[in-house]
Amino acid sequence: MMKKLLALLLALCMVLALTACGQKAAEQPAASASSGTGTAAASQPVQSAEPKFLNMAVNFAYPSLDAHKDYYGWYTQIYGVTETLFRIDSDMSVKPLLAKDSSVSDDGLTWTFVLADAVFSNGNPVTADMVARNFQRLVEVNGRYDDWADFSFEAKDEKTLVITTPAVFPTMLVALTDPEFAVMDLDGTTDFDNAPVATGPFVIKSFKPEGDVEVVRNDNYWNGAVKLDGATLYYMPDADSKLMAMQAGELDCYTSVDAAAQEIYESDPSSYVLTVIPGTRMQFYVLNETRMSDKVREAVNLTVDCEAIASYLKGTTSAAVGPFIASAPYGQVTKPAPDPVKAKSLLEADGYKLNADGYYEKNGKVLELSIAHYKSRQLPDLAVLMQDQLKNVGVKATLVVQEDPDAGYVATGDYDIALYCMIADTGGDPYYCVDALYRQSGKWAKAGFPTDETEKLINKLQFETDIDQRAALANQIVQMSIDTNAFGYVGLFNKVSVARPGVTGFSENIPFDFYGLTADTDIS
Amino acid sequence: MAKYIGKRLLHLVFIMIAVSFLTFLLMYLSPGDAAAKKLNAQGVAVSEEIIEKTREEMGLNRPFLVQYGDWALKALRGDLGESYKDGFAVAGKLAKGLRYTSILALTSLALAFLVALPLAILTALNKDSLLDDITRLFSFAGNSLPNFLISVLLMYFLCVKAKLLPLTANESVKGLIMPCLALSIPICGRFIRQFRAEFLEQLGRPYVSGAMLRGVKQRYVLGSVLHNASISILTIVGLSIGTLLGGSVVIETIFRWPGLGKLAMDAITNRDYPVIQGFVLFTSTVYVVINLIIDICYSWIDPRLRKNGGGS
Repeated sequence: MMKKLLALLLALCMVLALTACGQKAAEQPAASASSGTGTAAASQPVQSAEPKFLNMAVNFAYPSLDAHKDYYGWYTQIYGVTETLFRIDSDMSVKPLLAKDSSVSDDGLTWTFVLADAVFSNGNPVTADMVARNFQRLVEVNGRYDDWADFSFEAKDEKTLVITTPAVFPTMLVALTDPEFAVMDLDGTTDFDNAPVATGPFVIKSFKPEGDVEVVRNDNYWNGAVKLDGATLYYMPDADSKLMAMQAGELDCYTSVDAAAQEIYESDPSSYVLTVIPGTRMQFYVLNETRMSDKVREAVNLTVDCEAIASYLKGTTSAAVGPFIASAPYGQVTKPAPDPVKAKSLLEADGYKLNADGYYEKNGKVLELSIAHYKSRQLPDLAVLMQDQLKNVGVKATLVVQEDPDAGYVATGDYDIALYCMIADTGGDPYYCVDALYRQSGKWAKAGFPTDETEKLINKLQFETDIDQRAALANQIVQMSIDTNAFGYVGLFNKVSVARPGVTGFSENIPFDFYGLTADTDIS
Repeated sequence: MAKYIGKRLLHLVFIMIAVSFLTFLLMYLSPGDAAAKKLNAQGVAVSEEIIEKTREEMGLNRPFLVQYGDWALKALRGDLGESYKDGFAVAGKLAKGLRYTSILALTSLALAFLVALPLAILTALNKDSLLDDITRLFSFAGNSLPNFLISVLLMYFLCVKAKLLPLTANESVKGLIMPCLALSIPICGRFIRQFRAEFLEQLGRPYVSGAMLRGVKQRYVLGSVLHNASISILTIVGLSIGTLLGGSVVIETIFRWPGLGKLAMDAITNRDYPVIQGFVLFTSTVYVVINLIIDICYSWIDPRLRKNGGGS
């Protein structure tokens, strides 16, 4: 009886494994076939006569390629399949792409766009009517664009699109760089989830929902020669897997290299090319004005040494002064250098005295601050480092970790110091971040910073059309948050990319996460 | 027997109601919701008005019992609903995850069993020999090393150094080998220890020494030992099947294997109630059914249990 049972069990296992795997083996990306196996292709030099196929790892995978839904547009753009009217360049400036010209009426309510002579991958021309219908569809299917419901999108002629807004909308061009504003051929696409027809340099060859994607060159690409023949984008969420796949020669490049892998790549510069640029994702903390005096908050800010923290985090972050990259016109703010001696004197001036345990106390009560944080984006490391730095000046800090900060400490305001991470710059303009951080109706208002004055400045920024004035206003608002010791800006996550020598142009020099393959991506 | 099976299946209904209710309640009480998670997925802040509107559209503002009742009624009709995260059918997601998890679980289990059983018999027969010492060392190591470490070691030696297997070959026979090894090594270690202990206990029983003294051939004695140990072995293997079919998050993530474990973990992170509920229903059913199958197997193996009504 046992033998029969065993035999039955084993036979069942084998049949299941072989049947299922056999089916999937037939569905393996053909890129591997055309470029040899991943290992062989990457480890051998690419001959100019041979097809150029790139193997790249990506961190997320979605179940659909419908660029208008959810955040799927981020990945169709990374895959080089979809494009927008404008794109952001490495210097953070907005550059035309599918639109070749734009203008706004004197009252600031009517935007006119002249489209470039672009065509979809099926050869159909990109018309103003198609673009208008795309934007209408985006507003209908993506809840994040509900604010656009009152905008009107009209085709004035074949190549002229007019967008009318109910109020002045100075950040229109920046908004249109969002990957969700991708333009697809709504009439020519039969399966938005698996095979959207768009204007990018690549078209989908195979797509596994929440898995790997294979693209090949778009032979009808309208904007210059596409250097690659195709690419396979492997969904690899695990950092060790990516490192080892790179070492095994199965990958040619990827972004979001972690600190441990970065050290390994740095030690072998002949095999790997690392590109490290400051990104747009910011680590910061909020100091609760309702629970700490001005002097205590200033002491905390003078204690936190952002350079030391960035150094500890080994190149994954750059020390921040404000929420934006220092080279941006709206990143021109200053903050005092760390000064633990001055921090101590401030605490003493506030009535605190060092006790026998080395902590400051007042009226027999130890100065104890809670550092609320969540387990993501290296915030636990940051919390421990801040705790250590505060301890060195005599401030006791306790760590409070919550799973969902937005539903937890951010919503309740129950913290002394709240750590958080967010994308500060979504596309070359400061308003998004200023609006999210400093509004009186915003989620950080419970900490007490926003005043009527800041609100007035933010309202002015919202409708200001002059770029220099916008930068000046943003700098003024951010500087106020620094000077009043309401916020502490710790680090900007670096965008760290690695590639084999000769692999270029996979958006490694653009700080945003939503760019990847372009016509210029190449293996030489 | 039929009455017994019917009774157990009736228990399954109550178990599924209790487990799904408790899971729904726990998810409901935990901070955060699917609307905010979905809209803020990439770290882009969205206004509270938009989050609230999405919450309303998703029905998350309804009272707890209404939400649960709505889900339960649909589930009774065989409709597990759509994922809050992406709107795709939960049944389809579970079916895909189950397919890959079953392949990985059953091949790993078969591999572990095939290695562990002969080794356990040999080491039990040759207690304290060199083979026994080496096997115990492997067993300890396999048991002690965490999954991720075994996975990283396998990747390093088999992919980076020896270049025997590709890391990018998921969802294929080649892609199955490494996750299967990573999953089966600790199971094998555990099986060897447990099987060996069971065989040693059986070998120490009077019926074994009696048979040996009467000159019964060793292979016949071993047959009886194996038969008598099979109830314990079946329990150990059965429980492992239940655990493995729940999926392994670590191994599935490292080796890009699209199984149930990662699906469930992502659903929990995103507060994707319909997927979580579907997963919970599935795992509770698997546990109950596997336990039932094991109990039926007991009565096949041991006729005394059959007389008592088939249950253990």
